[in-house]
Amino acid sequence: MATNWHTTVTERQAGGQRRNFTAPLSWEKAAGWLVLVPVAFFFVYPLWKLVILSVKTETGIGLGVFSEMLADVRTWSAVYHSLVAAVLSTVLALVIGVTLAWLCAYTDIRGKGAIHVMAMLPLLIPSYVMTLAWTQMAGPAGVLNRFASWLAGTPVELWNVYGLDGIIVVMGLSHYPLVYMLTLSVLYRIPKELEWAARSSGAASRSVLRQVTLPLALPGIASGGLLAFISGLDNFGIPAFLGIPAGIPVLSTLIYEQVIGFGPSAFGRAAVLSILLGVIALVGTGLQWLLLRKGRVDQTSAEDRSVRYALGKKRFLAEGAVGLFLFVTSFLPLLSMASTALIKAYGLPFLTENLTWKHFLFVLRDHAGTREAIANSLLLAGLTGVLCLIVGTLFAYWRIQRPSALGKMTEGAVSLPYALPGMVVGLAMILTWMEPIPGWQPGIYGTVWMILIAYVTRFLILQVKSSTVSILQVGREVEEAARISGGHLWTRWSRVLLPLYAPGMLTGLFLVMLTAFTELTISSLLWSSGSQTIGVVIFGFEQAGSTTLSSALSTLIVTAILILLAVGGIWKRYWQRRMEG
Amino acid sequence: MNEARVIGVSKRFGEVVALHQIDVHIGRGEFVALLGPSGCGKTTLLRLLAGFESPSSGEIWLNQKLVADKDERISPEQRRIGMVFQSFALWPHLTVYENVAFPLRHQEHIPEEFKRNPRARVAQMLEMVGLGGMEQRYPSQLSGGQKQRVALARAIVFNPTLLLMDEPLSSLDAELRIQMRKEIQHIHRELGTSIVYVTHDQSEALAMADKIIVMRGGRVEQEGTPHEIYYAPQSPFVAKFVGRANFVKGSWADSSTFLLEREGQTSLPVRVAQDLTPFHRDQVLPVRPDQIRLHPWQEGLDGVRGRVQHVQFQGRELLYSIQVGEEEWEVSTDIATRFTYGDQVAVELVV
Repeated sequence: MATNWHTTVTERQAGGQRRNFTAPLSWEKAAGWLVLVPVAFFFVYPLWKLVILSVKTETGIGLGVFSEMLADVRTWSAVYHSLVAAVLSTVLALVIGVTLAWLCAYTDIRGKGAIHVMAMLPLLIPSYVMTLAWTQMAGPAGVLNRFASWLAGTPVELWNVYGLDGIIVVMGLSHYPLVYMLTLSVLYRIPKELEWAARSSGAASRSVLRQVTLPLALPGIASGGLLAFISGLDNFGIPAFLGIPAGIPVLSTLIYEQVIGFGPSAFGRAAVLSILLGVIALVGTGLQWLLLRKGRVDQTSAEDRSVRYALGKKRFLAEGAVGLFLFVTSFLPLLSMASTALIKAYGLPFLTENLTWKHFLFVLRDHAGTREAIANSLLLAGLTGVLCLIVGTLFAYWRIQRPSALGKMTEGAVSLPYALPGMVVGLAMILTWMEPIPGWQPGIYGTVWMILIAYVTRFLILQVKSSTVSILQVGREVEEAARISGGHLWTRWSRVLLPLYAPGMLTGLFLVMLTAFTELTISSLLWSSGSQTIGVVIFGFEQAGSTTLSSALSTLIVTAILILLAVGGIWKRYWQRRMEG
Repeated sequence: MNEARVIGVSKRFGEVVALHQIDVHIGRGEFVALLGPSGCGKTTLLRLLAGFESPSSGEIWLNQKLVADKDERISPEQRRIGMVFQSFALWPHLTVYENVAFPLRHQEHIPEEFKRNPRARVAQMLEMVGLGGMEQRYPSQLSGGQKQRVALARAIVFNPTLLLMDEPLSSLDAELRIQMRKEIQHIHRELGTSIVYVTHDQSEALAMADKIIVMRGGRVEQEGTPHEIYYAPQSPFVAKFVGRANFVKGSWADSSTFLLEREGQTSLPVRVAQDLTPFHRDQVLPVRPDQIRLHPWQEGLDGVRGRVQHVQFQGRELLYSIQVGEEEWEVSTDIATRFTYGDQVAVELVV
C-alpha cells in the first residue's frame, strides 16, 4: 500500500518514549475489555475465518485444498511472478530512492523542496492511475512508440509497458518514495561529527562513505527496501492493468480472478493463495520490524540538514539528471494520459481538430455508474476518515497509557489488516461479514457498508500512528496540568487535548481519506452494482477497452489530488506560522 | 485550614514498592521540601497528594477531609490544589492570559470577585511574578524563566489549598535558579499557602524550606528544620546527601567524646557537642568540609598530619583534598589559607 512509510516512521517514535498514564482502576478494567473484545472481533476473527476456510474439506479439517493448490502449476507461476516483480522492483526502488535521498540530504543540489514534493507524488497518486498513465506513454500505441515511429518513418516499438518488465518498472517507480523517505530520515540524523571524526582520523572521503555513513544508514535503507518489497506483493492495480492483458498472473491477481470468476466455490482455493501471499508479506514485515529496532541511529536525535558535500561543477549534471528523471517518470506519463483523455477517438493524433471535452463530460454527467462511484467514494472516504479519526485517536490514547503486553498485542492486531496484502484482507472480509455470527446474515455483502467496514479495519492503523505521534509529543504533564487546574473530562479534551492533538489527527485524517477515496484492491473484490468505487469504475473502463474514459476519470482524480495537496500545503504553512508566532 | 496529612501510606507499582508506610504532616502555611535522590519516592508522594495516583494502603487528608485511601480517591480536579510541573506544562495553544485564567474558570470555590473580574486577578498575579503586561503572548514567545513564572502564576491564581512544586527549577540555568528561589520565597510570604516542594537539590531545600523531609528508598530518612538536617544529620546517608561530609574513622569513648584514629600515634580525643548517636554503631564522626581547619605542619606537633593532594580555587573559597593516613578528606577554607600540592599540613577538627 502506498502509504506504508508513515507506519514505520512513527513506529520508532512511539517505542522511544512510552509513558505511563494513570486512570481510575475500575475505568481501566472496563476500558480494557471495551478495547479487547472489538479488536479481537474486527481484526483477528476475519483472519481466523480465512485460515479455517483454507483447511476445511468436505470431511472436516485437512490440508486437501492446500495440496491441490500446491500441485497446480498456475500457483507456482503466480508465486514466481509475484516474487520476481516484488524483488526486482525493490532493487529499482532502492537505486532510485537511495540516490535521490543522498543528493537531497547531503549535497548542495538546488530545488530540494520541489524534488521532495515530486518524489512524494507516487505515494499520493494511486498506483493504478500511474499505471494507466504509463500505458498511455509507453503502451503499443503510446506517446513514446508513436514518437519513435514518427522519427524512424516506419512503425517501431521501442518498449511496451505491458508485461513483467513493465510491472517491475512501474512498481519500482511507485515504491521508490518509501526508500527515499526512510533513507532521507536516517541520513539527516547521522551526526556530521561522526564523519568529521573519521576524516580527522585520516580516512579519505570514499572510506568515510563506506565505513561510517553507509553502515549507519543501512538499517534505514534496508527497511525502506523491505517496505517496497511488501508493497510490491500487496499491489493489485499494477499487475491487474499490465499483467492480466499480457497473461502474467501474480498472487494478488490470481486471488482476484478466483473470487470474481468462479464465485463462492473457489473461496477455498483463494484462501490458500491468500495464506501463501499473507505469509510471505508477514515475513517481510517481521524482518522490517527487526531492522527498525536494530537501527543504530537515534531516531529522536535532531535532524541536521546542512550541506555536507559540494558537488561543484557536477551540480548542473546532477540537477539535470534528477529533473529529467522526475519529468519522464511523473510528468510525461500524466501528460500522456491527459492527452488521451482529450482526444476524440483513441489513436488519433494530438491535433487541435481532434480535441474534445466530451469524455470528461461523459464521465461526469452522462454515465450513471461514474456518478454513483464518485458519490460512493466520497461517502466512503468521509465516513472512513471520521470513524478512523474518532476510534483511532481514542485507541492511540488508550494504547499510550499501556506499555504492557496487552497494549502491544492489541496494537499488533490492529496493524495486521494493513500489514497483510489488500486482496487477503478483502477475502477475509467477505468470509466474515457474509455471516459474522453463525445464524446471523446482516445482508451487507455487496453493499457500500461492507466496503466501509473493510476500509475502517484496514486503514485504522494509519490514524492510530498519526495520532500517536501527536499524543506523545504533547506529553502527560499538559493533561495533568489541566486536571489539577480543575478541568473535568470534557474541558480537558475540548480545551486542551484536542487542539494540541489536532496536527497528528488531521494528518491521519488526510491520509486515511485519500487512501480510501482512491482505493482499488478491496473494493474490486467487494463491490457489486450500486456500490462501485472510483477505482472499480476506472478498472472497469480499462477492462472494457474504454481507455479514453478511464483516462478522463483518472485525469480528474489526479487534478483533484493536486488541488487538495496545494490547499493542504498552504494551510499547513499558515498553521505553522500561527503556532510559531 | 490549609493543612495536609499523609498517614501510613504505601504505594506499589506492580512488584515495585515506591513508598513504605509514609507519615507526613504539612502544617498550615508551612513550606515543606521533599528531598532525596531520584527513585526515592518523593515524586510519587507528590503525585499522591495531587491525586494522580491512589495509595495502595493508608490515608491522605486535606483540610481534615479524607481525599484518598486504597478504595476511593477524589480526583485531582476536585482537590483545589495548585501545581507547578517540572516541564512547566503550559498549554502552547493558549495565551499567557488564557493559561493563567484557566483555573479561575474551572476550579471549584473561586472567590466571587475573581470570577467577576478574572482580568484583574490575572493581571495582579502576573504583576506578582514580574510578567505584568504579557497577557497576550504565547508560551513559545517566552524564555524558560518567564514560562516558569507563568506556570507559577497559574498554580496560585485561585488561592489553592495547597501548592505542589515538582522540581520546578531543574530546567533553568544556575543564575535564574537563584533568582527564582527568592521569588518563590516572596510568594510564600505573600500568600501564606502551604507548599510541598520536591527537589533533589539540597541547597534549594536548605534555602527555602521551613521543614525538610529527606527520603530514601521509599522511606522517610529524616525530618527536621534545615538547620537540624544540616548540623544534626541522623544517618550517614543524610550527612552525605545534604551538604558534603567526611566520615572520620575512630571510636566513640562516650556520647560526647570521639577518639580519632591516627597513624603511628595514640588516638586523639575530639569533643562533640551534638548528639551523634546514629554514628556510634559505625564508629565514625561526620565532619563537614567547613568544620576542618588547616595549619602549616611543624615537627613535634601533637596533631593530625595530612598532605595536600588537590587544590581547587573556587573564588570565594579553596577546596582541598587532604590525604590523612589512608583516607582523603575534603576541606574548604577561606582563600587566606594557602597551601600547594604536596604540602604537609596540620588538620584541626572544629565540630
